[in-house]
Amino acid sequence: MDRRTFLELLAAAPLAPAARAEILVPDYRIVSRYAPAPVPGMPGPWPGRVVSVRSARCLDEAGVVVDDVVREMLDRGMRALTGEATALGAWRRFFEPSDVVGIKVNAGGVPHVVSSPAIVAETCRQLMAVGVPPSQIVVFERFQNQLDGIGYPAHLPEGVEVYAAEGGNRRTENRAYDPETYVEVDFFGEEDTRSGMMRLVTRRLTKIVNIPNMKDHGAVGATGCLKNVAYGCFSNVARSHSRGQTHTRTSVGTFAAVEPLRSRCVLQIMDGLRAVWHGGPFAKTTRYVFHPRRMLVGTDPVAIDRLLLDIIDEKRRAEGAISIWDRSPKYLRFNDAGSRDSDPNVNILIREPGHVEYAGRLGLGVADLAQIRVEEIEA
Amino acid sequence: MSLLLFLATLPSLYWAQPVRTAPALKGAGIERLCVPPESAAAWRDVGFTVVPLGERERSERTRLQVPGLRSRAEVASATVRPWVNANGWRFLRAPEGRYWGDVPAGKAALAAAEAFAYGADAVLAIDPADVESLGRMMAFLSSVPDRALPAARDIAVVDDGSPPVAEILNLMARRNLLFAVTRKEASDVALNVRLGSKEFPRKEAQNPESFALSVRRRLTDGRRSLRVYGSEVVLARLCRDAGRARLHLLNYGGRTIDGLRVRLLGRWVPEEVRVFGQGPTVPEELLAAEGATEFSLGLLGPYAVVDLRAAN
Repeated sequence: MDRRTFLELLAAAPLAPAARAEILVPDYRIVSRYAPAPVPGMPGPWPGRVVSVRSARCLDEAGVVVDDVVREMLDRGMRALTGEATALGAWRRFFEPSDVVGIKVNAGGVPHVVSSPAIVAETCRQLMAVGVPPSQIVVFERFQNQLDGIGYPAHLPEGVEVYAAEGGNRRTENRAYDPETYVEVDFFGEEDTRSGMMRLVTRRLTKIVNIPNMKDHGAVGATGCLKNVAYGCFSNVARSHSRGQTHTRTSVGTFAAVEPLRSRCVLQIMDGLRAVWHGGPFAKTTRYVFHPRRMLVGTDPVAIDRLLLDIIDEKRRAEGAISIWDRSPKYLRFNDAGSRDSDPNVNILIREPGHVEYAGRLGLGVADLAQIRVEEIEA
Repeated sequence: MSLLLFLATLPSLYWAQPVRTAPALKGAGIERLCVPPESAAAWRDVGFTVVPLGERERSERTRLQVPGLRSRAEVASATVRPWVNANGWRFLRAPEGRYWGDVPAGKAALAAAEAFAYGADAVLAIDPADVESLGRMMAFLSSVPDRALPAARDIAVVDDGSPPVAEILNLMARRNLLFAVTRKEASDVALNVRLGSKEFPRKEAQNPESFALSVRRRLTDGRRSLRVYGSEVVLARLCRDAGRARLHLLNYGGRTIDGLRVRLLGRWVPEEVRVFGQGPTVPEELLAAEGATEFSLGLLGPYAVVDLRAAN
């Protein structure tokens, strides 16, 4: 074992056997001058509570998103979550006109599975209904070249900003990250041991709406709320994977828990209109795309992601693919993305779905299925 | 003019092209050359300062690697660290050495900056397409005032002259570990590295990369005089005494880097920041904390020089 890590035994592991053994916890050093809010956005006021809204009508026969149905799904999800009678009342529970609101989208699955422009646009409209001016709404992601493939501006109210921290994943653009708010950790002996939080998050936004997708992920098993904000708001995160191994079990939650990200990320809207059951986080082909036709709404990213793990794993099982919990080396072909893309029974890393449980232990939410309350709505 | 004097401060261009290419060189501001002996007179006739360099001296010079990134297609992945080809370790191991670089197109400016940063006696044979970029770099290097300072060192590597030590030096340099190459252990460094010692068994050198990592971890990052964040392809050289310091930053990646972050142990005040291609600039987001000084640079092309003074 690396001498700079230490073993942490899980006393009680409600998850799969693979998660029961041991966790290598790197020596994380968190640098942030931001204090947590009295009630941090994650897990927010409703830990362990998830509203699941389904509608067979949200996609038409051609697979195109039906905006009106999406609007209705979001409306009902928000009202159910908050108990408010109206959508306006529901959104007012989170936002006020003075807020500068970031909408963290996921563009990594471009072109087939990204945060739906219909959901993003409806989120903007609801924020504006609360009184947040469009100039104080920022749709954001790390890489512009991914956003370019979606074309959000054409869908959004005029004046809403679309922002990317970097042109692409080239590791040459650091200016968008705050040099005074970072996580320092040596995962595999890499030289650049810092991951900085986006300045947009630290210095401009007051609230964040997180709109991830339902996606399989080669490193974390399934990527949803936690990874979308953790790896989507920090620089230099790909270094957590190397030669078949990944530290994402601990890194995802650790990054998500850094202030002010944790406090400002107040609402989770998981876009499950379309989803990816293998090859994620990418979706360059439709081969592994499926259509859950649902949204998960809540303030607890851990609870939502815990449900997501089962959604992806069940779909993989139905397709005859190995479980996201499978740690067998016989399926491992590290650095061989081509084999992974062509064969659902190839992993390029040992997946770490236990990152959800670990994030729960950091206080970001509830990972125990027995304690997660799901309200099902059919729209 | 002797070659030594000629090369005193700047790397030299070896030019075997015919004299009719003189206008291109002059247009690039290059007026000093090493040339084949048989063409020396002709170059002098058109106004150049030249040093004849025969085949024998050329062949006696130590060959340099082409500086830059080496692609490793077999392990292509977003998460694999880039492999940097650099010569700094070579210059540090043999500072009195005489070097020769066959530099392909696109690399001349970086090769010149690299040699300059280490004060190396280097002659560079470049692709003619790089004359303009080399000329701009040479003009930039000429504008950097002399600042004779000893090289900072956290580590002393006892050099037994063996190839394994060469590769260890190479990989330590790639990690921006500041070392001196010595004949015996030094008392003024945080860590001594002698291959074959109890701490550094010779068999560990079979994997130079992990060996260099073990050196880093024995030193600990907290004791490193220099850290660079925001890139794994920028290698630095730090020279300093108690009152002044000069930091050379060489970007081997071929792409401009925006917002590189530098951390220097101790309290320092940046005085002059010279970035090739950017003109005078100022350090950004200067921070002194935890016994160290940090600052960011704006756009960094192949080379920058930062002069600092010790804070009171």
